[in-house]
Amino acid sequence: MRLLVSIAIAALAATPIAAQQVTGRPAGNFRLMDADGRAVTLGQFKGRPVVLEWNNPGCPFVQKHYASGNMQATQAKARAMGAAWLTINSAAPGKQGYMTGAQAKALIAKEKAQPTAYLLDPQGRVGKGYGAKTTPHMYLIDASGTLVYQGGIDDKPTADKGDIAGARNHLLAALDEVKAGKKVSVPEARPYGCSVKYAG
Amino acid sequence: MTARQAWLSAFFFAVMTLFGPFATAQSSAAQAPHVAITLVPETARPAAGSTVTLAFDSRPEPEWHGYWQNPGDAGIETRLKWALPDGVAAGSLRYPVPERLIVGGLMNYVYEAPFAQLVDLQIPTGVAPGTRLPVSVKADYLVCTKEICVPETQTLSTVLTVGDGAIDAATRARFDGWRQKLPRPLGSPATWQARDGAFRLAIPFPGSAPAGDLYFYPLAGGAIDYAAPQTVARDGDRIVLSTKAAATPASGQIEGVLATGAGQGFAITAAPGSVAAIVPAETGVTASAALLAFAGALIGGLLLNIMPCVFPILSLKALSLAKSGETEGAARREALAYTAGVVLVCLALGGTLLALRAGGASVGWAFQLQDPRVIGVLLLLTMGIAFNLTGLFELPTPRFAGRSGAGGAFMTGALAAFVATPCTGPFMGAALGAALVLPPLIAMLVFVGLGLGIALPFLAIGFVPALRRRLPKPGAWMGRLRRTLSVPMFVTALALAWVLGRQAGVNGMSIGLAAALLAGVGLWWTGRRQHGGGERAWWPAVPAIALALLAVALVKPQAIAAAGAEGIAGAEPFSEQRLAALRAEGRPVFAYFTADWCLTCKVNERAVLDTDATRQTFANRNAAVLVGDWTDGDPALGRFIEAHNRAGVPLYLWYAKGAAQAQVLPQMLTTRMLKELPGGETR
Repeated sequence: MRLLVSIAIAALAATPIAAQQVTGRPAGNFRLMDADGRAVTLGQFKGRPVVLEWNNPGCPFVQKHYASGNMQATQAKARAMGAAWLTINSAAPGKQGYMTGAQAKALIAKEKAQPTAYLLDPQGRVGKGYGAKTTPHMYLIDASGTLVYQGGIDDKPTADKGDIAGARNHLLAALDEVKAGKKVSVPEARPYGCSVKYAG
Repeated sequence: MTARQAWLSAFFFAVMTLFGPFATAQSSAAQAPHVAITLVPETARPAAGSTVTLAFDSRPEPEWHGYWQNPGDAGIETRLKWALPDGVAAGSLRYPVPERLIVGGLMNYVYEAPFAQLVDLQIPTGVAPGTRLPVSVKADYLVCTKEICVPETQTLSTVLTVGDGAIDAATRARFDGWRQKLPRPLGSPATWQARDGAFRLAIPFPGSAPAGDLYFYPLAGGAIDYAAPQTVARDGDRIVLSTKAAATPASGQIEGVLATGAGQGFAITAAPGSVAAIVPAETGVTASAALLAFAGALIGGLLLNIMPCVFPILSLKALSLAKSGETEGAARREALAYTAGVVLVCLALGGTLLALRAGGASVGWAFQLQDPRVIGVLLLLTMGIAFNLTGLFELPTPRFAGRSGAGGAFMTGALAAFVATPCTGPFMGAALGAALVLPPLIAMLVFVGLGLGIALPFLAIGFVPALRRRLPKPGAWMGRLRRTLSVPMFVTALALAWVLGRQAGVNGMSIGLAAALLAGVGLWWTGRRQHGGGERAWWPAVPAIALALLAVALVKPQAIAAAGAEGIAGAEPFSEQRLAALRAEGRPVFAYFTADWCLTCKVNERAVLDTDATRQTFANRNAAVLVGDWTDGDPALGRFIEAHNRAGVPLYLWYAKGAAQAQVLPQMLTTRMLKELPGGETR
């Protein structure tokens, strides 16, 4: 009569990321304030590819790509291909990387970054809605609004600038394929970097 | 570090190695690293052709953590770039079982306490003793607090000198401690499925093996949503773990570590397949479920009335009611008293059981029957009742089986319930098992239902005069019936004697039967005196029964029978010294290594090792059997096992007489395989 059924619930403290976006499905719309305090929605870029870049200037992995100029170069290439580039900061107030609009503008100037807009998401709503886990964490949405890539910027998950030269830039590769009307060959890759500094 | 500096530090190390095993780390990080790492060789003088283990003895600063091989939602794994002398090869980095850290809803698989990763270095053969082997490694790793992350780089070096491979006791103890934290290979393959966003993993794990806080750490992405809670259910020899699947599930094999609490874990490999869920016992019990359990118990109790152990008592009581032709009120009072007696005993038994359950003891409903002394007392009791039914002696009125009064009825009811418990096993096992996992109040309701069920027929007789009237009139047939009813009572006694024999062996059973005989003789003598109408008819029975009870109290459970499931008879605990001694004697040795958590081991033990055929095989060859129990991950055993089999347990070794090497047998044994082992004369 041994009917042993024991139940253990692990990781009770977990608050799982609410609604991850599914690759190949329409990307969820959102509305955020940019560094100048203007509202920006994803929907307003319909008809153009949109790149989402999660950013935290304090994170060494983000610094790897900015200090080397790799992120800026990628931004320039993407915009040259007609894409809109939205840099999103989901750090909560008091956490590493949190910025006000003015600080964000100073950062863009200092880094010579070229995003279409730098969006502030201090409550982490869009970050969690997209399942953004690391900085950087990249997303590509095609002209029809479908999510076609999510993951790391490249395939060398290190903080070493020296690794950039030999890496495959997943985002640019996906954008090339989208522009050529092809299927994205690597639609997902492991994001790497620091964790997004959400509240809690 | 310039070449000149490197040369200088190498020279420095070479000097230091003369004074004993020594190693240190040097950091090339600009500022002090947040994890102090020391590269420690298990021996600084490894022998040529051997393997030496190096440890990255890592101590994160307070608040800081390092990362596991799979860092979780964020973070990166440690990368190593070795600079090794020609011919020296480094294996892969082995990580200890990590911990979980959730920050802002993101899961991190980390080490917050000091930890050590291990790596094996292969020293080439043919290197002259005294040859210096400078070893250097550049480690890139990430270290974080809950707020910030810092990628760090350290270049660590040590110099090994080819020597005799001796390991000093203190270093060995440190490595033993580190090795104990590595996941051990589970051996049995697991199965996983991802369906409709739900991930399920079935892991073979013996139901008898204890496990604490179970958690599955996947080695790669594509298995689970890291931050989602994991639900674990155990059912027999498997664990089923359920959680949210990764957004894009992987295909093919999944590897990972099943942590079992206290820093222990098992490396598992899971193949894709179908995993059925274990339906957990309802924790939030609904009213309907409680009612169902109550009704089930009621019907079960009713059924118990026709069991041989209860029926005679009930019949006797019913007859006494019919015989006396009592008033309506008296009949009701007796029926109620009987019911109260039954229900109270059931409640008391249930309460005791729940108290024991709360105390953590693993007990079943028939727990009182696991103690041979309780069985012995029950044996005496049933024999006494049977003797009474045969008419060997009479119980004086108004004692418990007597004919009058609510007190007598109460006692009869209590007796009926107590005696009924041996009968519940086969009939009520499942329902009572469920009661054990139900909340205490509901469980008590089940016991009340059981008692009411037992009392129901008697209640009916007491409250429905028509039923009572239909009972046959008293007469000579009652004597016959009473004697006939002694037969099922004797059968009950026989069954109890058998149980006693199972628990306490032939000796225990003999003591119990002798005690029953003694009590019987005493009661018979009392019966003789009762027939003679003598005073103090009970004086011969009292000392006889007291003596019988005393004898029964001395019965001890058979220890060997209980431990029989573990290992095969005649096996000695394994130690390398004992193995060497036995081989020096020229005896063939069968050494096997097992663990409570190893299902394959248990299957082999049940089907092959613990059989007469195998015992005969080894006896014929005069082979010694050594058993190593690796349940607790004993490091000395671990080293020995690893030297023969990377996959851990089960491990079966056959040392034929005079053979230089052990023969490693397959993990699935057959009796025939053991019979055909070479070497060792057949006597």
